[in-house]
Amino acid sequence: MSKPSNDPNMMSTLRQEDTAPAAKSWKRFFLRGPWEMLATIIIALGVVMLMQPYVMWAYTYSFITTLVGTVMFIIVSHFPEEV
Amino acid sequence: MSAFSVTEPSKRAKGVAATLVIFYAIVTMIPLAWIFITGFKSPADAIAYPPKVVFQPTLEGYVNLFTTRTRQTQEFLDANPPENWAEEIVRQYDMVIVGPSKFGERFLNSVIIGFGSTFLSVFLGTLAAYAFSRFKIPLADDLLFFILSTRMMPPIAVAIPIFLMYRELGLSDTHLGMILLYTAVNISLAVWLLKGFIDEIPREYEEAALIDGYTRFQAFYKVVLPQAATGIASTAIFCLIFAWNEYAFAVLLTSATAQTAPPFIPTIIGIGGLDWPAVAAGATLFLLPVMIFTILLRRHLLRGITFGAVRK
Amino acid sequence: MTQTTMDRAAKATPVRVARRIRGLSDRAIAWIFVAPTIFLLLAINIFPLIWTIRLSFTNYKANRAGREIKEIGLRNYERILTDSDIWLNMQATAHFLVWTIVLQVLIGFTLAWLINRKFKGNDLWTTIIVLPMMLSPAVVGNFWKFLYQPQIGLFNYIVAFFTGREPSSFEMLGSVELAPWAIVIVDTWMWTPFVMLICLAGLRSIPDYIYEAAEIDRASPIRQFFTITIPMVLPFLMLAVLFRGIENFKMFDLVVQLTGGGPGSTTELTSINLKREAFEKWRTGYASAYAIILFVTVFGLASIYVKALNRVKER
Repeated sequence: MSKPSNDPNMMSTLRQEDTAPAAKSWKRFFLRGPWEMLATIIIALGVVMLMQPYVMWAYTYSFITTLVGTVMFIIVSHFPEEV
Repeated sequence: MSAFSVTEPSKRAKGVAATLVIFYAIVTMIPLAWIFITGFKSPADAIAYPPKVVFQPTLEGYVNLFTTRTRQTQEFLDANPPENWAEEIVRQYDMVIVGPSKFGERFLNSVIIGFGSTFLSVFLGTLAAYAFSRFKIPLADDLLFFILSTRMMPPIAVAIPIFLMYRELGLSDTHLGMILLYTAVNISLAVWLLKGFIDEIPREYEEAALIDGYTRFQAFYKVVLPQAATGIASTAIFCLIFAWNEYAFAVLLTSATAQTAPPFIPTIIGIGGLDWPAVAAGATLFLLPVMIFTILLRRHLLRGITFGAVRK
Repeated sequence: MTQTTMDRAAKATPVRVARRIRGLSDRAIAWIFVAPTIFLLLAINIFPLIWTIRLSFTNYKANRAGREIKEIGLRNYERILTDSDIWLNMQATAHFLVWTIVLQVLIGFTLAWLINRKFKGNDLWTTIIVLPMMLSPAVVGNFWKFLYQPQIGLFNYIVAFFTGREPSSFEMLGSVELAPWAIVIVDTWMWTPFVMLICLAGLRSIPDYIYEAAEIDRASPIRQFFTITIPMVLPFLMLAVLFRGIENFKMFDLVVQLTGGGPGSTTELTSINLKREAFEKWRTGYASAYAIILFVTVFGLASIYVKALNRVKER
């Protein structure tokens, strides 16, 4: 969607690659984007589980799912946006 | 724009679009028009079948809304002729007006609580928004999210501890309690909206003022405030509309002294069930100010309802 | 760009020094300005929230002050999350949520798309369409109850007029099949304009040159619609859907006035159910746990909402 913002991101990762490869891969693991997406999916899953009319145990475990997703979201939203 | 533009729809497309939109607008207005009309009906006309569009207008609904009445014996009625037009309307049912109803009081409560909380939330919101806009505040994003998330909480969930807390503090069913509560709910909207408005004022104005020897405070109220006046006014109207419309907290936390109009209007009882013309009259008086404000606000509507995310 | 020039200007003049001498420092002002807001929110939102969490582990009943309060651990949560009646309330909420969103998105987007044809007077009609959503849901909901009356109500009369049925042959609010739809209709009437406004903002954010380029490439109008219009409006639509989702998940005023949760508990949405537990049955501890469950759900959705909000803001 936002092409221009992607480009400098890639440039910076490329540049850092020659300097410190090990540190970089660590940092790249804790990027915000994918983690936030995962947390979003877990929250959405929890909400669907809460209100679906099919399986009782899904309803029972919906709250803990949403809670985990929400806590995770709060944590990962503090990860850096780019390396 | 060039003479021929591909993005400009043809005349016919415009015509079709206009017809459909106007049709929807008219359909959507029917319930509101019906409220307005019903306010001027007599109770018999209001529940007539088929529903009456043409009828003899009367102010009965409004009289019933503002007064309490009792039935009287024929001798009493003969001895005391009606003194004014309102009495005359009531006489049709062998009744006399014995005093004002609670509606005036409830309406006044809505005004007091609405304006009180609006003033407080805009005042505090402007200060906070200025700070968030101009200064580096640690954890600013988290604080802003925290502020916004308070707005999203389900009112009933919040009401349980508030109810207990207010009971302890003696704040339940008081104007102050409701003002504080509505301020707490509205302040999130105020901060988010006003931050957007203040962000748009160029910093150079203040910097210039600071160089001219103003203090931060002076720069804030002599330079920033006048610039943000429109934004502050529209934020105030949004806060006012929210406080005006709020129902859940009002119905749970107020009963007698500080009850606002929304929990009161549905409880207006006539002879044998709800007095629909009186309810409609109350609803008309209650909704009309919001409609007028909405028309005034139309340029800022999107901004207000999306917490300032969407500008136009 | 302006930032650097500004910085240079700031460094060149001894403003900062002068300011500190004359008045309060920026940092002090920042805190003075923010503190009242934070304090108010802590007192009226966060402190009660923490209290609710504490109560949710007890069997406290607010109408019996003298009763001994027992810590019962996670029992309240356990009971709520295995209660099939509350599960049914959740499903009623889901029905309301899904259908209001579907209808509002379809109608709202269509309206926005039509208004974006820029016909004469579209501003006026937009303002008129927007009116219902600004009004008090409780007062409006109460009046809709009148429109829904089986014999005398305008809604029944109009439906009967077009379908040829007897206007007293169906009860929108009284029958188990129709009541869930009655609340969907009123909510759609009320909140479609909200989705419409946001879609309109999305449509207006698409620059003309994209369509012009597509025209040069001879993309058909339908293709343009699906490859340009829809993807460009989607972030806005997401925002609208999330916001309506959150609002309708905690829906109270409109529905409580319309149906009061009835008939039976067919339209007893979670908030109405919670109100009954907390303020009619006075099972405060139990209701607190219930409130926390709703709260966490809303909070989770709200974090997604804020993310979507920021994404739209960046555009």
